Amino acid sequence: MCGILGLFSPVGDLPETETFVGALDRLRLRGPDDAGTWRDEFALLGHRRLAIVDLSPSGRQPMESFDRRYVIVFNGEIYNHKDLRALLRPLHAWRGTSDTETLIEAYRTWGVACLNRLNGMFAFAIWDRIDRTLFVARDRMGVKPLYYSDRNGHFGFSSRPSALTLLLGDGNLEIDPEAMRVYLELGYVPAPLAFDARVRKLPAGHYLLVNARGTRRVRYWDFRTIQIDPSMSRRPESELVEELDTLIKQAVKARLMSDVPLGAFLSGGVDSALVVAAMKSAGVEHPKTFTIGFKEEAYDEGPAAAKAAQYLGVDHVHETLDVNSLLDLLPSYIQEFDEPFADSSAFPTMAVTRLARRYVTVAFSGDGADELFGGYHYFPLMNRLAPVLRWRPNTKRHAARLFNALPLHRTKLLAGATRCHDTVALFHFLRSVGKDYPPLVSPDILKSTADSESWFAQYAAGFAMDLSAAETAMRLDCGLTLPDFFLQKVDVATMAFSLEARCPMTDYRLVEWAMRLPVDYKIRNGQTKYLLKKVLSKYLPHDCVYRPKMGFAVPLAQWLRGPLRSWAEELVHDDTLMSKLPLDKAQVRELLKQQASGKRESHPLVWSVLMLLCFVQTHGARRSLPAMDYREVA
Amino acid sequence: MTVSKGPRRLLFLVTEVCANGGIQRFNQTLLEACSRQAIGCDVLSLNDSADSIRARPAQNHIQIVGFSGNRPRFAAAVAAALLKNRHDRVLIGHVNFLVLAMMALVLRPFGRPRAMMIAHGIEVWSGIGLLRRIALSKLRRILCVSDYTRKRILEQAPALRAKRLTIFPNALAITWQSIAPPAAPRGTSRFILSVTRLERGDRYKGVATVIEAFSMLADDSIQYRVVGRGSDLQFLQLVADRCGVKDRVHFMGAVDDTELISLYRECEAFVLPSGKEGFGIVFLEAMYFGAPVIAAREKGATDVVHDGNTGLTVAFGDVIAIKEAIERLMSDAALRERLRDNGRAMVTDGGPFTFAQFAKRCAEVL
Repeated sequence: MCGILGLFSPVGDLPETETFVGALDRLRLRGPDDAGTWRDEFALLGHRRLAIVDLSPSGRQPMESFDRRYVIVFNGEIYNHKDLRALLRPLHAWRGTSDTETLIEAYRTWGVACLNRLNGMFAFAIWDRIDRTLFVARDRMGVKPLYYSDRNGHFGFSSRPSALTLLLGDGNLEIDPEAMRVYLELGYVPAPLAFDARVRKLPAGHYLLVNARGTRRVRYWDFRTIQIDPSMSRRPESELVEELDTLIKQAVKARLMSDVPLGAFLSGGVDSALVVAAMKSAGVEHPKTFTIGFKEEAYDEGPAAAKAAQYLGVDHVHETLDVNSLLDLLPSYIQEFDEPFADSSAFPTMAVTRLARRYVTVAFSGDGADELFGGYHYFPLMNRLAPVLRWRPNTKRHAARLFNALPLHRTKLLAGATRCHDTVALFHFLRSVGKDYPPLVSPDILKSTADSESWFAQYAAGFAMDLSAAETAMRLDCGLTLPDFFLQKVDVATMAFSLEARCPMTDYRLVEWAMRLPVDYKIRNGQTKYLLKKVLSKYLPHDCVYRPKMGFAVPLAQWLRGPLRSWAEELVHDDTLMSKLPLDKAQVRELLKQQASGKRESHPLVWSVLMLLCFVQTHGARRSLPAMDYREVA
Repeated sequence: MTVSKGPRRLLFLVTEVCANGGIQRFNQTLLEACSRQAIGCDVLSLNDSADSIRARPAQNHIQIVGFSGNRPRFAAAVAAALLKNRHDRVLIGHVNFLVLAMMALVLRPFGRPRAMMIAHGIEVWSGIGLLRRIALSKLRRILCVSDYTRKRILEQAPALRAKRLTIFPNALAITWQSIAPPAAPRGTSRFILSVTRLERGDRYKGVATVIEAFSMLADDSIQYRVVGRGSDLQFLQLVADRCGVKDRVHFMGAVDDTELISLYRECEAFVLPSGKEGFGIVFLEAMYFGAPVIAAREKGATDVVHDGNTGLTVAFGDVIAIKEAIERLMSDAALRERLRDNGRAMVTDGGPFTFAQFAKRCAEVL
């Protein structure tokens, strides 16, 4: 994990290095080990380093190519960089062993096509001093974040939006109304939107080419069109289990590349246990694994994780917390997320990161498996509800009215689902945090912006034909929710403690295989992650594999009625704060009132609103941190 | 409603004739073929209005009655026409009329006419239930516009006798074929073209993916023109805006044939990577007027667009492949010429999709 920042001006209108360094300091937690800047007349590049591979000075960044034509800043890891070195003919002997040097040489040799050869997680920028072109890219699945701004003749990029806004302005927010609306519908801001109107997120699997003629955004990898392979259904199941197991092992083995200690998060669920099992198979004798448990049994995965650890034979570290102690992390949560972000599972993720960082610098995580292999409860639900979509409009209208009249929460949700006109709309309804609650943004915003469903529809336009409802949902989750919600959470939560997370389940070979796999191997008879559980059954007993999914749950609803109630009420009744946002104040206050009184359960939406308010309160007037010593590349 | 008396005739049940769309164009071509071969034909059209029929040039031997979308009146007229013994052949122009028509025929007291049905595409690719399967089994012939459509029907109704399903592809309309193709291609403007409906339910046509692919092209002097109208226009404009190309994507709405022909003639490429084309008559039109074609390797389009021969094909939705296909066409003049020549050969003398061939097939079948 590192942090990168850069600025390009075709007319050479660049700020002083001190100003740049002030913005680069926003990335200090991403890279505490080293820092550097580089500049010429047209480009200014900065890097903060968390040293993982090639700890020597030869791995420092910004890094120039041997011929000094190219300069790179790079965040991430290229797991196959040793294989690539065997294919490359550098101008001179390799200067070190870092993947950064391999990457710059790969670009020198293959140009933008180098992206098709990379296996890794990355966000990087390469400045071509001769062509005066900046090449900026983000990895296939969006494990590493990359924000950019392209306004007023300046192109800037960064690992964090706050560094960018600080560099390009005073650091204050300029809220993008569409991003705010979409955030309140989904609980996160999907790429290319960003919460600040001056900033965009580079979507996963894309690159940018920037020069004096303008900026071009190009998609270089796309899993959306991969067809389901029906021939897989005709093969013996055991063969598929072996194939998947091998792919997971390959993905994990590739990611063992490190010159610092590494371990793994172990939750007691299927995904992390599989990753740890693969680590063992790849030759890590006693991997260090980390779990946080809670004193409250309903949230405690500690015993399950301990049992899995025992069977897997790992060096397990376990910490038991009072669930309410997670609230101590709230300031970090608010400070480190550079955009409003409403996934409360960030709390336990931060807690387990804090624990792991005491022992290791790199930790493996199972993220991505739920989206690829059908782990969420709404995937089977999508297939069950799909026939409703084919009802005639009149039938749907009457049915919705009937369901809505029944006094049950579930029937009201069913009424909402019945109103959907296609699978994308149905998925959007199930995935949205607001569901059927009236819009919280002002009518002006509603009129002038598009809703989040239009982003889903735009993304789904590129899907292969004839997907089932569940497959449509999984691909939407993989393409939108995973990079900009779940992987964003992992990146920010681990970054907050200067730990690098590696997610083998996002290995593109595994993703492509999963896309071809018929849905029957993902959800069968209502059971989720069917094939993945079969693989894990090779390593763990039945009761460890087939226990109910728990996830990283926190008692948000209880918190909002208990310890967080007065804090939440203060926030929504802060007129100064509320006046900064185009929200329907009465609707927001009513929402919280209903949640606090227990009259209506809408805690995902309430949490989204509170995180939005906190974000504006905290980041509205941002101060820059004191600068540290910087090394400047000659 | 009245139908003409005299010698026995063909009864043709259609959704619509007087409009621009794949099925409508097929119906028009079929009626022209009937007219030229003196096949008397009574047409009952569900959606055409009396006005639109009047505005249409009269054709010998053809009589059209429109019902302006009034389903009960249409159903009553179909039943009445079938119960009388005036037609010796019935051509069902849409699967939605199949059960109604077959029930009326079953109730007919004497002499059953030869019943046939046209299977266009998406409407028969799924959802053939028991009633329709029974009705299909009573048909003398099922005219499938593409091989894909034929396969899909047989998958759903395996008990059908395969030889009753005839591939009966569409053809370029005779009115178009009478217009001379361009002697020397291209004007000076550079644009790619799509011609399609823009309805929300028709997102499978792939226009949004073309916009995304278009936005990735290195050459930003090229325009993208989209002919067609529909309820999804706003969404597609939004996509163009989000992709940063709203100034270069032009939604032209419906255009008249003269303008459409000039667009076909002048475009750099005709791009319609549709995922559910029953046949894709627009590909024939584009080929006739010399536009190199990019289509999706899906469904009925594969009968017309053969990769590297009569056009370039891509996987549906594959924006990277669409971008690369456009770039290939832009940069490879020899490829463009080859595709243009081979495409035109499909719709000019001796080609399989000429009106003459279509008329010949009509004479054999009807």
